[in-house]
This record gives sequence, structure tokens and C-alpha cells, in this order.
Amino acid sequence: MLSVVADTVTNPSPKTSGPPRKGRFFKNIWFFIPAIVLTLLVLTAIFAPLLAPYDPIKVSMREKLLPPFFMEGGTTKHLLGTDKLGRDILSRAIFGARISLSVSLIVIAITASIGTVLGISAGYLGGRTEAFLMRVTDVSMAFPGLLLAMLLSVSIGPGFWTVILALSILGWAPYARLIRGEALRVRGSDFVAQARVNGASPMRIMLKHVFPNVLNPLIVVMTLAVGFIILAEAAMSYLGIGVPPPEPSWGSMVADGRSEIDRAWWISLFPGIAIGLVVLSGNFLGDWIRDKLDPRLRQV
Amino acid sequence: MSEIVLRVENLRTSFFTRRGEVKAVDGVSFYVRESETFGLVGESACGKSVTALSILRLLPEPAGRIIGGKVILEGINLLDISKKAMRAFRGKKVSMILQDPMTSLNPVYTIGDQIAESVRLHQGLPDNMVQPEVISALRLLRIPAPEMRLRDYPFQLSGGMRQRVVGAIAMSCHPRLLIADEPTTALDATIQAQYIALFQEVQKKTQVAIIFITHDFGVVGKMCHRVGVMYAGKIVETAPTRVLFQAPRHPYTIALINSVPRLDRKDERLYSIEGQPPSLMNLPPGCRFFPRCSVSETVCREQEPPEVKVGDEHLVSCWKVK
Repeated sequence: MLSVVADTVTNPSPKTSGPPRKGRFFKNIWFFIPAIVLTLLVLTAIFAPLLAPYDPIKVSMREKLLPPFFMEGGTTKHLLGTDKLGRDILSRAIFGARISLSVSLIVIAITASIGTVLGISAGYLGGRTEAFLMRVTDVSMAFPGLLLAMLLSVSIGPGFWTVILALSILGWAPYARLIRGEALRVRGSDFVAQARVNGASPMRIMLKHVFPNVLNPLIVVMTLAVGFIILAEAAMSYLGIGVPPPEPSWGSMVADGRSEIDRAWWISLFPGIAIGLVVLSGNFLGDWIRDKLDPRLRQV
Repeated sequence: MSEIVLRVENLRTSFFTRRGEVKAVDGVSFYVRESETFGLVGESACGKSVTALSILRLLPEPAGRIIGGKVILEGINLLDISKKAMRAFRGKKVSMILQDPMTSLNPVYTIGDQIAESVRLHQGLPDNMVQPEVISALRLLRIPAPEMRLRDYPFQLSGGMRQRVVGAIAMSCHPRLLIADEPTTALDATIQAQYIALFQEVQKKTQVAIIFITHDFGVVGKMCHRVGVMYAGKIVETAPTRVLFQAPRHPYTIALINSVPRLDRKDERLYSIEGQPPSLMNLPPGCRFFPRCSVSETVCREQEPPEVKVGDEHLVSCWKVK
């Protein structure tokens, strides 16, 4: 933050700020690279119909198991090759971004909201509310998530919303734990005491005073969760309890290629790389934000 | 004589812990008038702050409980009204300033927002009326260039400035009573003197009644009109400040005033009171100061002393005072 301010002060004209600007990029490289990667992937997901060269679910048995263009037998018509039903891998990976990214964004929004509300209530109100909420949280954390996901998939049928439900139903617990701890810290602070003295209601204190002060760790955990949820969705698709075929998701594509891995490794590899990119970007971005928000590392 | 703003009658507050009942405040009575500053002095853990929190009904729950007495503000007993009605009193009719200015402000809001919050909460003004109220509150506390300061965050202000902002929040809704719990303890001596002068100015302008909690007799002398001396959960002596300094009657008050270091006397050693205050969990049956008192008699050990009026507004609880 300070360096940005200093730069604009010493270099009021943008023309003269060549070297510092470059320096800023490299100093924050662990913000820019993952941010760019994630932005590109989100754009890819949004504009999938425009970017994908083929229909991702169109079967073409004559063109099955074509290798990527750079290999012998490969063609530039199918840049990343085709799967065993002759579907274009590139198109499927592009459309797969839609499911994988939207699942993770929706799940994060749901789990973070539930976890924050419960965590702040438990931490600020204390007493029986806290005891009850935290025991529920403990149970949720102890429950095997995959088992519940399978159960849901079997009982209400697999699908996009089943995946979201399965990942959200237990996923709020770590947020509740974290936010409760933070809320406890904020509850003891003098400005909360001062707010009480000024006549603010518990609701108002939780919304206006506790919530903004637990945002930092919340943002960090939300960013780190991107990778985790994509992996969980991929695992569910791989086990056949995710979004059902022929709809492409990265996880189900990796699973598809499993049986052909010895002769057509590209079916699994490219969606696998996409998963890896998102997970890594999420983690790097989360780390970067955490470092920036850590008051011990921040200069005021 | 001006109107009495707050009257506390026989207030009793206890903390119920696993090891037993702690009688933190045990039958405290006093009153404060308009434009008057009432000092509440005593050593640590004598019940000063608990008295203040009891008035606002902000005791740490569920351990702390008010078990008796009355707190009458403008004819209403604050101990009888609902929680919601009590919230409407806090910050509006009664404000409180906490000890540490460094942490009493929320770091994520500008000071303008924080004062505005209180104004909106209690005065129900339309949005365009809030800003002028905020600026006049800042001006009341003599914060320079209030229009600019509005947009500052707490970390951009010095300790003294922050303490003034806390004061501005407290005064923003024109309260009848202000409780200040050791507001000067965290400030250095020069800022302290300025702050006291500022308080006196604010009081002159607003006629607010102030309860000033402190353990610093220097501050008491400068700031307070009347003083109540607390010992082990009771007020042992109440008197106008000048009377208290010139003719203290209770042995504890006398000992306290003697233990204030003085520059004009060259004693070899500082005077100090022997022994420790009694445990509030099992109090002795008689006078609470009895074990440490230099003039005690048998009766002191057996019976609690009654409160005796020894002069104009001068009350003492001691068997030796007639």
C-alpha cells in the first residue's frame, strides 16, 4: 500500500514511472499471476460458447481418440485431441470450466455465509447459543463428507444442485469455527464495549462492529477454498456422483480418460492441468492476501 | 441549587462465581446534579467501575447481577425498565467514556461514521441533518478542522485526539449524564491537564452531570465538585472536594490523602496504609476498614457504622465520627 502511494507521489506523471511500475509487478507477482490466470478462466467459462470450436457433447465416432495436434496422427482441427466418443477435448475443457467454477463459487458463497452467520452468533452471543452451535459444528466436521455426498446423490439423484448441496451441507463448519474465534477476539475489544455503552443492540454490534473486523481471515479462507472445492467436485464426478454425463466437468473428464490412460493420456491430462491451475492460483492468491492483510506485516 | 440528574439509592451488585458470592457493590448511595462533577475514588477493585456498569446495566452476564437498590434518572428507575428501553437510554441520556482511547474506536470506520452512528441511532434525524450534528460534536470537543477530520480513520489520530473523538461520540446526543471511567489514566500529564480543562468547558456549555471515576487525587482536586470515597464496595465518605481535602473525617480518607506524595513536604518515606482490603467474598461483620484502622474500637469489629451527617453535604460512615 505505502509503496503505491509513494510511487504516485514521486512519479506524478505516468510516463516517467517505467521502472517502478515494473518493480511493482514483480513485487506482487504472486498476486498478478494467479489473478490473471483466474480471470482468464472465468472469462473462458463465461464466453465458452464463443470460444469452443465444437459442441462439447457432439459425438463423432469416426474421429475418436485423436491425439493432440503436436503428436503423430494429430490434427489442428482438434487441437487437444478427442476422447473415446470423438468429442473435442478443448471444447469440453472450455465448457467444463463453467461447471467447475460455478460449483465452487456458489458453494463458497453458501458455506461462507452460513459459517459467518453462525460463527459470529456463537462467538458474540456466547453462552448456550455458542455451546449448541459449536457442538453442531464439531459433528459436521467429524462426519465423512464423501459418504454424505454419495448418500445424497443416491437419494435425490445426481446433478448440478446435488453437488452444490452435498458440498455446502458440511462445508460451512470450518468457516463457523474460524469466524467464532475471530468474533471472540473482537467481542473483547474496547470498541465493542463502547458500542454497547452507546446503546447499540446486539444485532447492530454483530453487523456493524464484529463483521467488518472478521472479514480479513474470511477472505483468505474463501480464496483458499476455491481449489479445495474444485478438487471435491472433481472427486465426486470421478466417482460418478457428480454432474452426470454428457455434461462436461473437469472431474468427470479426468474420470473418463481413466480407462484409456495407457493409450490416450490426453483425455485426462488437459482437464487435470486446468484443475491444477485453479487450485494453485487460488492458493497463491489466498497466501498473498493473507500476507497483505496480516497487521504484523502491514505498515500503517 | 440545580436539579438532581441521577440518584443512586442503596445499590447492591454481586458477582456469583463458583466459589461464592462476591459483593462488589454493597449499598452505595449518591446523587449528581446538573453541571456537577461527582468523583468516585478508591483503590483498585473497590467497586467504582462496577457501580458505573450497574448504572448502565452492562454487567458481564451471567455472573454479575444487581440485587437491590434504585438508579433514578429523570424520575425513572433504570433497574425497572426493559432491556430495549435501557438501550435507548444508553448513549442518549447516559453516556460513558471508557478508559483506553487507543482501542475504543472501531478501526474499520472513519471517525465521522462512528459519531454519525450514534447520532442516527438515537436522534432519528434525516440524513442531511446528521453531518452538522457530527461536526458540532467534534467542535464541542475542540477538534481542529472537524470537516477534514471526519474522513480520518482512528489510526491516523494521536492518542489525545482519539480520546476527544470518544468524548465527541459520548456527547453527540446531548446526554444528561456522562460517566467517565478513568478517562485520563492512559494519557500523559500534559494531555491530561488539557483534557480536564476541555471537560470543564464541555460541562459549562452543556450542563451535563459527570460521574468521574479515578484513583488520582490530583485529578479529583482539579475536576470534581463533590467526591465519594469508596472502600470495599461501600462509600465511606462523601463531601464537597474542598472539604474532603481540608477536613477529611473517615480514617480511610485521611490515610488516602496522607499517602498522596507531596512535593512541599520532605518526608523520608511515603505514607502507606497497612494491610490489604478485605476479600469481598467473606466480609468482616463490622466496619470494613476495621482491620487496617488505627483508631478502631470494639464496636467497629462488631457492628457496621451508620452514615452520619457531619456538615453540609458531608456524610461519613464511622463509629469514631460523631
